[in-house]
Amino acid sequence: MTDAPLSQRDADDAEAAEYVLGVQDLAERSASEARLRRDPAFAGMVAAWETRLGGMNDGFAEAPAPNLMPAIEARLFPKAAVRPRQGLTLWRWLSGATVAAVVFLVGMAMLVPPQAGLVARLATADERLAYEVRQFGDTLQVTRVAGVPAVQGRVHELWVIAPGAAPVSLGLLDDAELVVTYPRPPAGWTMAVSIEPEGGSPIGTPTGPVILAVEIGTET
Amino acid sequence: MSDEPAADPIADLIARCAATDRAAFRTLYRDSSAKLMGVLLRILKERSEAEDALQEVYTRVWLRAGRYDPAKGRGMTWMIAIARNLAIDRLRARPAPSSDDGLEFVQDSAPRAETRLIAMGEARRMSDCFATLEPDRADAVRGAYLTGLSYVELAARHAVPLNTMRTWLRRSLLKLKECLDT
Repeated sequence: MTDAPLSQRDADDAEAAEYVLGVQDLAERSASEARLRRDPAFAGMVAAWETRLGGMNDGFAEAPAPNLMPAIEARLFPKAAVRPRQGLTLWRWLSGATVAAVVFLVGMAMLVPPQAGLVARLATADERLAYEVRQFGDTLQVTRVAGVPAVQGRVHELWVIAPGAAPVSLGLLDDAELVVTYPRPPAGWTMAVSIEPEGGSPIGTPTGPVILAVEIGTET
Repeated sequence: MSDEPAADPIADLIARCAATDRAAFRTLYRDSSAKLMGVLLRILKERSEAEDALQEVYTRVWLRAGRYDPAKGRGMTWMIAIARNLAIDRLRARPAPSSDDGLEFVQDSAPRAETRLIAMGEARRMSDCFATLEPDRADAVRGAYLTGLSYVELAARHAVPLNTMRTWLRRSLLKLKECLDT
């Protein structure tokens, strides 16, 4: 076995290959994913490996798929009449955040009188995970009301997204309640929770799967 | 590089998705979902999870269609990369199995059948380059690509220490690249 260390370039290229191949563990993989977003040279290596290893794609046999288009369209094109452009912009952002298992609950946010507290409720359809965002004076207070924090080494991160704008992190959601000085987001803004590496997203926008998202309600 | 691109109807459909053509999106699903389902099922093993992932894959395809560059590869290759990435993310994000479960996981796949399939179509060059690797290392690369085996699982399957597997695989990949890029 040759044990000579790889050159830096070869080591980078090997990391790109390992990422495409998928052999890394979760932590290594999320480190490579973070790198992919901030390092164009590395991203180029990954793209080259996707093409190279794509030569194995004949090894995947086809399998009949049910028609899932109605469900896909329902996720992508919620309520066609309501601000379609804004919806698209939002989805662009969520897409940039490697959306996995998005539960997009338009209209689930409750519009309540400003002083009454509840700003938004972010929950999975099965209620296995739920956060409530309440307003107290000039702060937002975020409490997990169902479920558990992210697995070891990961953390839930809360984002607020103005129409057409980049997500802004409001903080990390672990065992403690999150209190952050922030005004009540107006109707049409979005709040979302993503899963991030421990310590939060390294790049300032969501890098992990967005597991919860809700548009602040316009309807009561 | 390889041959000039032949007609690529999938690439054309992706381009139309980028222009928010929903009819094209439906056609794309009709024409590509069986292949992507095959990818997801192979890696995730469970049909309900694969179907859930398939929805996510097409969501990403629609949202990222504008970033697809036909000059860099065929449409199906791009879509399969999206599907594999998601499947492997989900696989790695699964709660760690107990070590016994991990070993069970390793046993199921059938590299011999893959060896045969690999020899088909545009994969011929790949197959020739695989022939330059030692057989067990070629199997490790295929097992990882097609079934989503991790380093830990590969090391168990080939009964070598994790670091040895890592060294093997890295060297094999770079050797493969040298052959494929020549």
